[in-house]
Amino acid sequence: MKLRTAIIGYGKMGKIRHKAMESHGGFDVVVACDTAIDPSATVPMVTRPSDVYDFAPDVVVCSVPNIFIPDLVCTALSHGKHVFCEKPPGRNSSDVQKMITAERAAGGSVLKFGFNHRVHDAIEEAQKLLSAGTMGDLYFMRGVYGKAGGPDYAKNWRNDPEQSGGGILIDQGIHMLDLFQMFAGNFCDIQSFVQRKFWTEVPVEDNAFALMKTPQGVVASLHSSATQWQHTFRLELYLRNGFISVDGILSASGSYGAEVLNIAINRLDSSGNPSPNPELQEIRFTQDLSWNKEVAEFYDAVVHGKPIKCGTSQQALDVMQLVEAIYQADPEWSQTLRTSATEVTG
Amino acid sequence: MQSPVFLDHLPDFEKIGGDKPARYRWQRNQSLLQLLLDSETIWTKRCACPACGEQSTNCKSFSKALLDFQRCTKCNSIFAQRVPTQEKLDQLRIEFIEDGPPEKDREFEFISLLNWVSITEARIERSLDHVVDIRFSSQMAGWKETTERLSHNRTWDFIDLSPDTCDFTDLSAALSQSSPKAVLLPVELDRVANPEMLLNAIKKSCPKQTVLFIASSCADGLEYEILGADSPSFVPLDRLTVFSISGLQSLCNKVGLSVLECSTPGRLDAVILDTHFKSEENSNIPFWSGFFKDADNNRLRDLQILLQRSLKSGILRFVAET
Repeated sequence: MKLRTAIIGYGKMGKIRHKAMESHGGFDVVVACDTAIDPSATVPMVTRPSDVYDFAPDVVVCSVPNIFIPDLVCTALSHGKHVFCEKPPGRNSSDVQKMITAERAAGGSVLKFGFNHRVHDAIEEAQKLLSAGTMGDLYFMRGVYGKAGGPDYAKNWRNDPEQSGGGILIDQGIHMLDLFQMFAGNFCDIQSFVQRKFWTEVPVEDNAFALMKTPQGVVASLHSSATQWQHTFRLELYLRNGFISVDGILSASGSYGAEVLNIAINRLDSSGNPSPNPELQEIRFTQDLSWNKEVAEFYDAVVHGKPIKCGTSQQALDVMQLVEAIYQADPEWSQTLRTSATEVTG
Repeated sequence: MQSPVFLDHLPDFEKIGGDKPARYRWQRNQSLLQLLLDSETIWTKRCACPACGEQSTNCKSFSKALLDFQRCTKCNSIFAQRVPTQEKLDQLRIEFIEDGPPEKDREFEFISLLNWVSITEARIERSLDHVVDIRFSSQMAGWKETTERLSHNRTWDFIDLSPDTCDFTDLSAALSQSSPKAVLLPVELDRVANPEMLLNAIKKSCPKQTVLFIASSCADGLEYEILGADSPSFVPLDRLTVFSISGLQSLCNKVGLSVLECSTPGRLDAVILDTHFKSEENSNIPFWSGFFKDADNNRLRDLQILLQRSLKSGILRFVAET
């Protein structure tokens, strides 16, 4: 069965989704929408989102700036369409709540968010090790995800809080937080430092540090950075029987390097204590299959009624609430946010 | 198919270059000499590469400890041109193990094998709660005890080394009775007369989807590529077949095994080559003598990691499935 598909937001992400859908074979992209007609587009294009419904799509892919997400998703759901939406899921948890309400009202429509890091090969392998119990109880996690700003950083809509809801934390750090929650569940105790160091004229953070704890006592530390001049993704999980780390993440830019999974199981000495520096098993992944896996899961949910496992609206809500909690946990930053909000509302 | 790299401490060259390993090589070569002199020994000529099946007339020949070997021009595997019966080989190994001092200090190697099984089990998302060890416990004193001490979530059966037929009748019967989820085969494939027979016997005797953990010497390893027959690890009776990666892959395909993982976790290439090129007689070899002249442990470790990542170290590991 081919799903007639409309892509709203035909920029970099929209085109990545288009390619993955073509590769899957179960989608027929019948229309794309963006602010301007792309002359190189291979599908009919429109410039008003409401016009995509003239093409009778079964599913709508939403790849637009955060500010537009809730309305477009709710509209698509109200038309009875299945929706695949990029992360972050709007600008805040209220946006997600709105979409959840629309999802419930829509009944059988599928809503999936694109938290693709969950389905990167190295992350899936790490999850298998946890699920199998090989590594024992999870003690703590460390995550560093950072980049060197980006082109036109100050002008990019991602760094306009009105459009994006925040800076590097909500844009990129949210992936790491989503992974933390996938491995450990939700956090109840949160401390943070949120800073603006380099791009001081831009009203969003360029660094966020968070220290969090789950009710079960799993501690996680995050550093999300736009001043990580060497692009970095590093996730470490320390467990009773050893550790797992993922270094690098395959991305569209390729600038985070290959994805390397490291696994070490402790060697115990004669008294049963772990000896330092156990043998490390390193596995390299060089092909990013995450886009294809996401599209396949979405297809199976729509066509075969299988439940969504990665990128549910509940996961989206949980991670957005965590983002907000991290912003709030730094008293100086939350004061800055309040001041900005007051200035905007007059 | 995945290709993990196993990073660990670099071993001391004494492990392979000291007196004890040298004595081991002499004794094994002495056994081989007796075998060659024994007019009653039955030898089987290998007309084709035991790995990929390429006709041996196309292969390059050389000799080691009076036994003729060939390197396959198609798959790069190295193999003895003729082999004694499996029964004779097994008898020799038993005598050797009984006469020799027990192997010691292999705890790191044992733990590496146990962790290999555990990590694979998680990766394939299938319980491997019953494992059969094929002859490793006979070769390595302490292995059984290590499994009892450290492998809590699985039961083990140990098939001891005993003189078997060319088609491994006894081994097949023991495997059928055990009905394992996994089979561990760390020291057999390069030592048996007919590796294809051994893999066939395992495949036929085990349930479908039994996971095989195979380790062997690797002909693609830099150690073998550069030193060839001069490599100190090349002990003919223990290396009747030195598989290349593609050679073992071909054999697995032929037998009907699916290969899930391959790696070359060898840790000795760099230290073996370091010693070789630092010796007086090899001090003028282009590139390599200079490379090793000032090599410290960091450089050797970097080289060994590069070899592992390139599937070019002298030991290979395969995970395959029936």
